[in-house]
Amino acid sequence: MSAVAVDGVWKFFGDYPALRDIRLEAAPGTCLALIGRNGAGKTTLLRILAGFSRPGRGQVRIFGGQPHDAETRRQVGFLGHGISVYDELSALENLTLYGRLYGLADPPGAAREWLERTGLARVANGLVREFSRGMRQRLAVARAFLHQPRVLLLDEPFTALDDKAIAVLQRLLGEALAAGRTVIMSTHQLREALELATQVALLVRGQLAFHGARTAEMAADPATVYARYGEG
Amino acid sequence: MSAGDLYIPLGATAALAAATALAASIGYLRTRNLRFDSMARAATETLLAFLAAAIVSGCFVIHSVSGKWWTWDARLTAALVCWLLFATCLMLRAAVDDPSRRAAFAAVWSIFAWLDVPLVVATAAWWKPGTALPIEWTGPRLGLLAAMAGGLLIRARMRQAASSHPERAG
Amino acid sequence: MMGFFRQAGVIAAKDLRAELRTKEAINSSLAFALVILLMFSFAFDPLADTTREIAGGLLWIVFAFAGTLVLNRSFARELPNDCLDGLIAAPLSGAALFLGKACASFLLVLGVQLVSLPVFGVFYNVPWTRQFPELLLVLVLGTWGLTVVGTISSALTVNIRLRELMLPMLTYPILFPALLGAMQLTAVLMAGNPIGPGETGWLKMMVGFDVIYTAVSLALVETVLVS
Repeated sequence: MSAVAVDGVWKFFGDYPALRDIRLEAAPGTCLALIGRNGAGKTTLLRILAGFSRPGRGQVRIFGGQPHDAETRRQVGFLGHGISVYDELSALENLTLYGRLYGLADPPGAAREWLERTGLARVANGLVREFSRGMRQRLAVARAFLHQPRVLLLDEPFTALDDKAIAVLQRLLGEALAAGRTVIMSTHQLREALELATQVALLVRGQLAFHGARTAEMAADPATVYARYGEG
Repeated sequence: MSAGDLYIPLGATAALAAATALAASIGYLRTRNLRFDSMARAATETLLAFLAAAIVSGCFVIHSVSGKWWTWDARLTAALVCWLLFATCLMLRAAVDDPSRRAAFAAVWSIFAWLDVPLVVATAAWWKPGTALPIEWTGPRLGLLAAMAGGLLIRARMRQAASSHPERAG
Repeated sequence: MMGFFRQAGVIAAKDLRAELRTKEAINSSLAFALVILLMFSFAFDPLADTTREIAGGLLWIVFAFAGTLVLNRSFARELPNDCLDGLIAAPLSGAALFLGKACASFLLVLGVQLVSLPVFGVFYNVPWTRQFPELLLVLVLGTWGLTVVGTISSALTVNIRLRELMLPMLTYPILFPALLGAMQLTAVLMAGNPIGPGETGWLKMMVGFDVIYTAVSLALVETVLVS
């Protein structure tokens, strides 16, 4: 069974078709880099995969289940543009909250472990309001990985990360992929993403212009994908 | 024909339009077909128009009897609150940009408004028992006329909406 | 089943902890209540007997307006940092999210009311302690109705234009039966009389209102959150 299956998905905002007949599959263990210009539909597609909105037409299946089922959501981790943690709570309180929502056996323990792994153990009891930009991003990463999801959906995760946070994220993604998890990430930062990616999908104005394996050529010079299949 | 004759036919048509709006709202939530949303909106607008006319005719009746333009009669008060209930549905529509979200929100709120109608009517009657409105039912003719007018208005509004938004027609 | 209530509890605890740490909503709600009470005392002679008759009604106008400030925060507090996304992505049913938030808001609004009540009693010389258990019952029933309708409105209006304006506009007309009942019963209790057989109808209606709107909100909240 494929990890993520998108079958004939369209999404309309009023009259405007943001996504047109998207068909793609990602097998378990794949790292799919979703690339495209601003407004191409990357965020729209990811949000449909995460269960935030319904497609106008077509179907999405994650391990055979609907994105919005509770059981499916338990297996999906989402990292969007916002960090989705509360300013007025501490880092530990935030992660413990999510641990409880995801039904983990030991929420505070899991929270501490992931604070450790993202280098935030020393500020566990600090309020998020007082964190630096990079610390907030690392906490968001911890939140997305906390429940060991089988599918990770990341929307431009490398944007606005400082070097420390980029290193943490690359390490965690590498570990996740080695453990057989599936990652779909949209990105402008082609270099970091294409290093990890095994597959590449290019969206041009809501349509899938290319979907295939990542080649060494792409990793060496990411712009070739755009040049060959996109609008240059 | 006096204002009092109009009250019941207008009110009854408003009630029919309200029933149409409720059915269309449930229909939208079940099928997500924007045509139901178009019907719900047209029915809500029609219902507001007829209910407003009914309230105004009620005011004329009261004026002819007592010289005042308003009294907190149970029926008039209930009609006014119901009018507000559905007017807020229209206001909600105006505040949402995305058509499918707008349709879903309006449908949900229409159901909420609808559930309130029996409660509003009952509590208004408890609050001011004994109606002051001398209204008689003068037979079905005016009622049928009003109902036909209401139906035509709904259809016209739907057609108008479809012509300015062709993707909704299918 | 237990998972549902446990999750609602997690959300309620989170909301309460966040609010008690900042106290933004309850402070502004309390200040607003006191300001309205003061302004009413300019409009009506606070110590006249006629004012005591309408005291029940005045009190619920204060509660309804001040309550809106707390209820608006309910889903609005999820907007910074896109926290609402985090909640929707989690395996948390919309109904559990709604129930948790409603419970948290209920406790906060009730808290504001219980603080305003003695102030009201002093300003308007109203014997509110005489029938206190029954007054508390009316407070709980009326406030739950206000909270449930206000919380679903908060969910509905969180991402739309004119949010702060739309929430009261949507909530108050729906609340007409419940507010009327609460005002009638409070007027009776403030006059020092217990709730008699003629008034139990209002109580039953308020219970019915609460049950109906809680049920339909739980059923439809998912549609509001994911569209």
